[in-house]
Amino acid sequence: MRMVFVLLLACMMLVSTDAAGQTLSTSNATIELKSAEAAPADWHSEAPPVDGWTPVKLMDLWDARWPQHDGVVWYRLHWNQTSADQPAGLLVDYVNSAYAVYVNGSLIYSDTHLTEPLSRSWIRPQYFLLDKPLLRPGQNTLLVRVSGLAAYQPGFGTVTIGNPASVLAQQRRGEFWRYNVQLFDQSVGLVFGGLFFILWLLRRKDAYYGWYALCTVFWSLYSFNFVASSPWPFDNTDVWEALNAAFYVISTVTFAIFLLRYAGYQWRRTERIMLMFCMALFVFALLCPQWTGRYRTVPIVFGCSTYYASIFWFMGYALRHPRADYYALAGSLLIPLVVSAHDMLLFLSVIHSDNYLLAVTSPLTIIGMGSALAYRFAVAMRRAENFNVELQREVNAATHQLTETLKREHDLALNNARIGERLNLVRDLHDGFGGSLLAAISTLEDPRRQPGPAQVVTTLKELRDDLRLIIDTTTHERDTDLTGLIAPLRHRWSQRFEAIAIDSQWTVDGVEDLSLGAMRVLELLRFLQEALTNVLKHSSASQVHVCIRREGEHLSVDVHDDGSGFDPGNLTSPGAGLPSLRVRAGRLGATLQITSSPGEGTRLSFDAPLSPLV
Amino acid sequence: MASTGDHIAFDRVLIVEDDEPTQRRLVKLLLELVGSTDCVTVADSVAGAKTAVSASEPRLALIDIGLPDGNGLELISWVAKQHPDTSTVAISAWGHEEVVLAALRSGAVGYLMKERDDAELRSALQSIRRGGALIDPLIARRILAFISLASTEPLTPPLTSAESSSKNDTALSERESEILQFVARGFSNREIAHLTGLSRFTIEGYTKSIYRKLAVSSRTAAVFEAKAMGLL
Repeated sequence: MRMVFVLLLACMMLVSTDAAGQTLSTSNATIELKSAEAAPADWHSEAPPVDGWTPVKLMDLWDARWPQHDGVVWYRLHWNQTSADQPAGLLVDYVNSAYAVYVNGSLIYSDTHLTEPLSRSWIRPQYFLLDKPLLRPGQNTLLVRVSGLAAYQPGFGTVTIGNPASVLAQQRRGEFWRYNVQLFDQSVGLVFGGLFFILWLLRRKDAYYGWYALCTVFWSLYSFNFVASSPWPFDNTDVWEALNAAFYVISTVTFAIFLLRYAGYQWRRTERIMLMFCMALFVFALLCPQWTGRYRTVPIVFGCSTYYASIFWFMGYALRHPRADYYALAGSLLIPLVVSAHDMLLFLSVIHSDNYLLAVTSPLTIIGMGSALAYRFAVAMRRAENFNVELQREVNAATHQLTETLKREHDLALNNARIGERLNLVRDLHDGFGGSLLAAISTLEDPRRQPGPAQVVTTLKELRDDLRLIIDTTTHERDTDLTGLIAPLRHRWSQRFEAIAIDSQWTVDGVEDLSLGAMRVLELLRFLQEALTNVLKHSSASQVHVCIRREGEHLSVDVHDDGSGFDPGNLTSPGAGLPSLRVRAGRLGATLQITSSPGEGTRLSFDAPLSPLV
Repeated sequence: MASTGDHIAFDRVLIVEDDEPTQRRLVKLLLELVGSTDCVTVADSVAGAKTAVSASEPRLALIDIGLPDGNGLELISWVAKQHPDTSTVAISAWGHEEVVLAALRSGAVGYLMKERDDAELRSALQSIRRGGALIDPLIARRILAFISLASTEPLTPPLTSAESSSKNDTALSERESEILQFVARGFSNREIAHLTGLSRFTIEGYTKSIYRKLAVSSRTAAVFEAKAMGLL
């Protein structure tokens, strides 16, 4: 078999001496082989056919020549080496779809799948290094076995041979522009798509974020065609190509809807029809891939039209509605407009090149569209912030107004309180001081009173003490606690008792932070003052103990002396002030306890609730 | 030490009082204390008082704060400035605490309240003679409030280095403010003496020292403040 093959090769060399090809004269030169011979064969052809060779110009797409030929086409090329002492670089620029390479009859490369599912080697140019003995001086023959399907532009590009370094550089360049840039494009698309998808998840009502994400996702699926090296996960090229076309159409339709949404439109019926078409295309692609694949030009032209129509529509819209983000978006769409026109012509084989340019510029478009979206987002944010500022101002104004109102109300309340206090003071003067005054007058008018000024003085002093209490409580009630309010009385009476050698002891306990209110404090002070006056006047005591302490929710007041005491049953006893003391205790919500017997001293005590009785 | 404060001999006393019964009452009280009224001069106006002070250089001047031809506070300041050897005691009716405080800050070493019983006035005068002073809870509270106010926002302009040395002289000692706290809560001198382990005369000395510090701290600001309070 091998022998036959080699013989055949030898024959062919003889036959085609006129097609001997170019000559590589120096080790630094490179030559590009642009002509070859092509011969069709079946899927399983293992050796080049003996006849049927046709001269072709490279790059060659065989679907034009053999429109129905699915299978293998052999390409044969020749070149001359002046010398084989230096190795030569070999660049196979473009092969669609799977291929194997033979140099001077020896296999130097073969794709993984030469039958379906065909390897997809069309993207990357391949580089090989040839050396002796494979490379030989004089004529060398390159045989390339290409497997492809007529529907998907099968063919073979030019071959470059020469200085290894420059050939390798050319291969790298090609790989960069045709493969790496696509990969980068894919990444950018997915990143932006993902970003705006998340944004859409958080802001469902801004639907254009969602459509943009959808568009970039389908565009990435479509673009996957440019980086995939096999039809995986599918088992044949037809499904791959059919779905690829479907993805393309879906991405253009979602793109169109995105532009509509961005401009604030919603063309329900048109959108629905387009989406249904997408759906149908998708289903067709899965159910009859071969049919869909072969006629993919139809959906792709549809997609393309949709794409251009939407771009043109949006540009018109942007011109009619001047706005920075519209201009930015329209500007970013102008790039693909030009570039994709080029690509479309390329696809339709109107112009010939192996480079689809859209991939190169598409990151620019994606970034441009992303910027427009981001700008819009920023504008919305700014509006929200301005709204916050506005809101803050309103809140401040409202707060200010409220403060004013509260202040007015507070002033009013304060004023009312002052009026109330004044009324209380008047009532105190009337009840207490006035009462004492009347009592004093009737006492002094009583013809049975003891002659001499002593009683007059006593009575007047009582009046003075009462006035003192009123002044002290009304002027200081607010700025001190009960201890502080009791302090002047305590101090005064301590001095008085001291002056007449009565030992007075005070226990004031647990009332530091107590506030009873002016009226009740005054009542308490009057009670104490009258009780102490009684001790001073009547008891002949040597000791008096005043105890005021808080006990839970009660104020316990206790005044006891070791004086002569009296018989509580005897109303004519010296305890003349007792009714008044009872009344005062009663006003504090307590019942006065009187414990006394002649010679045993006197104890006056009561427990007043802290909160006033309602 | 404060308790050894100046004993004030009542050998030359000036009473500045326009109300005759009060004059008589004070003369009687002084008579009870010193046994003779030879040394007591009475003036009933600011002008008369100034003449009398300049003429006789009394050791003690009892000055009514409400005088017909001027203000007792001013007179107290004047005496404190012109005749530092003359101690002044303010006389107040229904002692309005602000007025009493202003008098103390003007330089008075004590105060008497007209509405008090003779016994109380007598003990106040005795205390003054011993070199001490008496104090009431409400006055103590005013002083405490004033001190805390002054310590948070100084009323006087920032002290120069020369003046700052006198700052310690005007700040209340811990003992002094403790005594003021007790007084403000109504404790009698006897009780405070018991609680602090000091003698009651020592406490009276501390009280006088507190008054003196009030005067020193406010000598410059007193008139201004009294004016601000509407007292002048």
